[in-house]
Parts: sequence; C-alpha cells; structure tokens
Amino acid sequence: MKNDLWVEKYRPTTIKDVIGNEEAKTLFVEWLENKRPTKKAVLLYGPPGVGKTTLVNAAANEYKFRIIEMNASDARSEKAVNRIAVPATSFVGLDKFSSEVKGNMLFMDEVDGIAGNEDRGGVSAIIKIVENTRTPVIMAANDPDLEKLRPLKKVCLLIRFQQARIPLIIMALKKICEQEHIKYEFEALEKIALNSRGDVRSAINDLQGLSEEGKTLTVQDTLALSLRNKDISMYDTLKGYFATKSIMEVSNLLNSSNVEYDDLLMAIGDNMPRRYTDPGELAEAYDFLSQADVFRGRVGTENWHLLKYFYNNLAQAAAVNPESYKSFEFISPPIRVITLFWTKSKRTLLDSICVKIGVQCHVSKYEAKMIFVPYLKLMLQQKKKTNTLIEWLKLTPEEVTFLTGLKMF
Amino acid sequence: MAVNEEALMWVEKYRPKILDDVVDQHDIVESLKAFMRNPKIMPHLMLAGIPGTGKTTTALCIAHELFGMQNWRNFTLELNASDERGIDTVRERVKDFSRYSRGAFGDVPFALIILDECDQMTGPAQTALRRIMETSSRTSRFILICNQSSKIIEPIQSRCAIFRFSRLDRTAMIEHLKCIAKKENVNISAEAVERIVDYGEGDLRHAINALQTAAAYKEGGAIDEKVVSQVIGEASPKQVQLMLNKAINGDFMEARRVMYDIIGTYGFTGAEIIRQMQRELFKISYIAPEQKAELSNILGEYDYRLTQGANSDIQLSALLAQFAKIGKTLGESN
Repeated sequence: MKNDLWVEKYRPTTIKDVIGNEEAKTLFVEWLENKRPTKKAVLLYGPPGVGKTTLVNAAANEYKFRIIEMNASDARSEKAVNRIAVPATSFVGLDKFSSEVKGNMLFMDEVDGIAGNEDRGGVSAIIKIVENTRTPVIMAANDPDLEKLRPLKKVCLLIRFQQARIPLIIMALKKICEQEHIKYEFEALEKIALNSRGDVRSAINDLQGLSEEGKTLTVQDTLALSLRNKDISMYDTLKGYFATKSIMEVSNLLNSSNVEYDDLLMAIGDNMPRRYTDPGELAEAYDFLSQADVFRGRVGTENWHLLKYFYNNLAQAAAVNPESYKSFEFISPPIRVITLFWTKSKRTLLDSICVKIGVQCHVSKYEAKMIFVPYLKLMLQQKKKTNTLIEWLKLTPEEVTFLTGLKMF
Repeated sequence: MAVNEEALMWVEKYRPKILDDVVDQHDIVESLKAFMRNPKIMPHLMLAGIPGTGKTTTALCIAHELFGMQNWRNFTLELNASDERGIDTVRERVKDFSRYSRGAFGDVPFALIILDECDQMTGPAQTALRRIMETSSRTSRFILICNQSSKIIEPIQSRCAIFRFSRLDRTAMIEHLKCIAKKENVNISAEAVERIVDYGEGDLRHAINALQTAAAYKEGGAIDEKVVSQVIGEASPKQVQLMLNKAINGDFMEARRVMYDIIGTYGFTGAEIIRQMQRELFKISYIAPEQKAELSNILGEYDYRLTQGANSDIQLSALLAQFAKIGKTLGESN
C-alpha cells in the first residue's frame, strides 16, 4: 500500500531499525519477553517524536501481538476505558491458536493527556486493568511528572526515551532521500535535523514538506520552511483577530493561537492603523495595546499568571468597534525589523562618528548625537577651514559626506 | 584662561584646565581645592547635576591638578558608562588599570578613575561597581559623574563625597561666550549672545557649539541675531517637530512614519524620543497653554508606561494616536 506520509511510509517495522534509545529498547524487549515480570505494565516516557509509538508498533510486529490502541483522541473516562480495555486484556483472544497473532497488547498513548474532569476515574480504571491484565499493557507519555500520573507510575516499569542524536537523524533523512531519489545538500539535512531538536517525526515531516521531485534540496530551502510555517499561523491569527465580532470570540482565538506573544503584539501594533481609520477608535485600540504591553513588561520572566491580563487587553483592542471592520492587507514583516535593517549602515556610520567625537570631546555617544552632530554638520556644510577640523576628529571622507547630508532628527 | 591650541572644537579648546577657571561653581571649587592641597585625604567623589554645567570639566581639572598636565593621562582612566558594554567591561578595564598604575604618582597615592553617566547603569551593575570600588580603593579613587544622584544606589552614595552642580548663571554663561568670541576675534552683538545662551537651556556646550557654528556662517563682520536664528533653526530637531505637528494635526500615519525615520537613523530609545517631544512641544506657538498641559500629561503617562512595558514601538504609536485624537477635536473646535 502506498503511503503518502513519509513518517508512516518509513516507520521502522523492526525493533533494531528504531532510531537510537538502545537502552530503552533493550529494557522494553526484556520486559516483553517476561524477563522482568515484576510489573505488568510499562510506561514509556520522553519528548514527542523520539520513537515511543514506533517501538511499540515494531515490537508488536516482531512478537506478533495485535495492538488495541487508545490515544488522546479517545475519551478516557472510566466507562470508556472499561468498554475497550477490559475485553482487550481479559481474554487471550479468539486468535490464540492462530500462528499469526499471539494475542492482544493494550497500548494507551499520551496518558498525560488524560484530562482531569472529562476523563473522571480514568486513571483508577487503568490501574484496575493493570492489576487484572493477562496481556501486556503499554502506556506512553511526554511528561511523567504530572501529579495525576503518580498512581500509574507505581504499577508501571518506567522506561525513559531521550531525544534522538542529531547524526542519527541525519542518517535517517539521508536514507529517505536516497529512496525517494531526492538530491540534497548535506547542510540542508543538517539544518532540518538541528531544527527538529531531536524530534525524528518532525524532521521527517519537514523533509517531506521541503522536497520537490527533480530539485536539489538546499540550505536556502530550509530557511523558507520555518518562516513559512510561522507566517501561516500568524496570518490566520491576525485575520481572525481583526475581523472579530466580540471580545469572547477574540479571546478564544488568542487562547488557541500558538503565535509567540511578543511577535503577535508587534504585528497587531503594526497593523492597527489599517484596521481603525477613525482617530478616536485608533487611539482607544492603541491604549489597550499599550496596557497589554505594560502587563507584558510585568510578566517579565516569572509572573506568568499576569499573562491573562495581557491577552485581555489585546482582546479589548480588537473589539473597540466590530462594526467598522473592512478587510485589509496585512503589513507582514515587522516595521521595526524592516526599518532597522534598511538603516543599519546609517546608524553604524553615525555611531562611529559619535565615538570619535566622544573621544576628543569627553562625551557619550548620546550627547555627541544631541549636542555635537547638529552643529558639526552645519560647520562642515560651510566648507570653511573644515580640513583641520576633520583631521582633528579623524573623520573619514565617507563619514564627512554622510554627516553633511544628514537629516536632522 | 589657558587654551588648548590643538583642539578645533571650541568646547574642547576653551575647556578650563584648572579648577579656578571652572565657570560659576565657586563653592564646589573651593572645597575641592582643599583635597588638591592634601590629596591623601581625598575620598571618592560624586559630581551630580544637569548636563553642561561643568562636571566632566571639573573631573578633568582634578586630574590635571593631581598629576600635572604632562602626566595626567597615565594615571587617569576615563570611562563613559553609557558607552561601555556592561559592568564586565568596566570591571576588566578598572582591574587592568589599577594593576599597572599601582604606586601612583609623587605625593598622590592613587590613580583616578572617572566614570561618566553613572545614573545610566542598571541596579545590578551599580552593585558590582560598589564592589569594584571596595576592592580597588587602595590604589584608586573614583570620580562618579551623574545627572541625578537619586538614581545611584545608597551604598555607593555613602562612599562618596557628593557635589551638586547647579544650573549655570545666565550672566556667567554670557561672559564666558563673550570671552571666547574675543579670543577668536569674532564680533558678536550682545543680543546674539543672549539668544544663544537662551537656546542652550543652561548647557554651556550647546551654547559654545552654536557660537562656533555662527562664526563659521559669518566670517568677518559681526554675528547678529539673524545669523544666530538661522543657525538655531538649522540645528533644531526638525523631524521631531514634524512628527509632533503631524500628530497634533491628526495625521497619525505620517507622524508614525517620521518616528520610524528618526529611530532608523539615530537609534534613539523610546524615552529619548519622548524627552525631545516634551522639549519641542512647549515651543509650538499655535496651541494654547492648557492644551499643551494636556498633551504634556499624555507624554508623561506614556513615558511612565515605557518604563513598565516591553515594546517601545507600541507605546510611542499609542502616544501618537492619542495626540492625533486630541488634534482632531482641536481642529473641530477651531
């Protein structure tokens, strides 16, 4: 069967092909072969995309188990657990005499996603199952430290997964490229691997997203990917934000958006004048943004609970007057970034001039800018006896030209 | 008045060399001269006061008098705190300096470290500075220069003898400018000198630079008020004025464009821009004093929010939007 997603297409089917985590693999196999009979269940834990699910699938394949899977998308209340998991673990199964399948294996992925209220009783139901099971029970989680998982951890053998090492990811990507006949620059694969931070799944997804048949994958392409992804979610967030009908609506949007809040604040600030053309509305909206920024400042690096006030103000700025909304084109790269980029050479020249003034006249760069540059410019423009002055300040011809043509602040 | 013949900016050329020549700070000079007679008793010094009143000059004069005009550079480390990258650079340079200047000079048992604009240093940097002052106190004396001593942490203040520089007397400034003009063989009318002094807002360097520029404009012949007005007009912050006018007349977009133009070229911080707006606001002739007060309060509010917030572009844009809103109501009532 042809599988369009490379993560599925190239998912290892044997345990030895699972990337990295040798220690975890050994431990898991020993447990599966009943060499560690103390615990009836295992909890595989570690960051996303490092091979937990893959290992379980590969093991099931090699040891001929049928996987009964429950993951975060299934509700895991006590009732749901009992409906699916109890039958799966109580019987060895109708297939028990078949040579194809040895029996069932219950796999509960993302157990840290068991939500407090909706999955009421879920954890205790799982524990009951583990106590009574006759088949292997395997669980996987990203964050094993959650308080609600504590009872689970007591009945499980804990197996830790670590991020895949970058060279191993590069090797895996290389192999896929060869099989898909994709030409590539080695640095491009390196970039993708580094960018994944040890998440093999995301690395393979990125590779697939970037590759085009018949084209060489370059480092340049890898830059485009991260930007593109970011821009799409930013674009959607801005679109929903400015077109909102109510504070409630925009609050929900902001809650679900994963745009980094500093970037978001900047983008909203840049685009606000296009949203509100009435000076009164614009002033009111900016006032909310200003207060949002004040809360952002108070959040600093530790008072994260204040972030909700930041978002509240952001939401209020969006809903100053929903009636006046007309769709408009977004300014996309931040104005500040663009401005500072195009003017960098000017500032560098001015800085170097001000340092030279500072050395001779005992002033800081700021004072040189404020009380010397305006007059020096006029003196140089007069072109009388300026040579000795230029020499004394050690200004280069380029600096003199720049200074003479400088617009006053 | 001794003259530095090499220097070509008059500010430097006529910078006083000895304490007695420092303009209009007689009480401070008298107290400092006692230390010059017996350097062993000189503590760390803090010179505080508004810009252009002679703090740096006084510090340099102390160096001259302690070590002599020939040698002072060998025993003096001059650091501008707002330019140095951070406290680590300061620490390294002070450490290096106090190491090789050990033994010092003649009767003076220490080397001198002049640290300008100390009030720009962050709290943690000041705490580190305090430690540096302690560890190098056997070999060094510090002269800390700042605009506001209140922005310096208590432990540093208590280690220094503090001297407060007052605003320069108008007559003293006029006399000083006239004296310079005479030495440069420049004729200048009394009104022109007064105009320059008034524009300088008590900052003598501002005034001397304006005088030198006016002299360059008018070679031969007397400098009159007209020339001075022209120089002041050309040297004034035209873009800041433009930004203010655009905002007050309700043109937010244009005001913000000018704002980014200024930030792009000059790299000013939000606080620096607001400071300039505040200064220029009161020079605008077409709005009533009550309205200026209202706008000034808004400046104050956003100046404060800048210190609390994280993104100065947002605060400046919000400020301009407030001005534009008020500008609109002004336009309607007229």
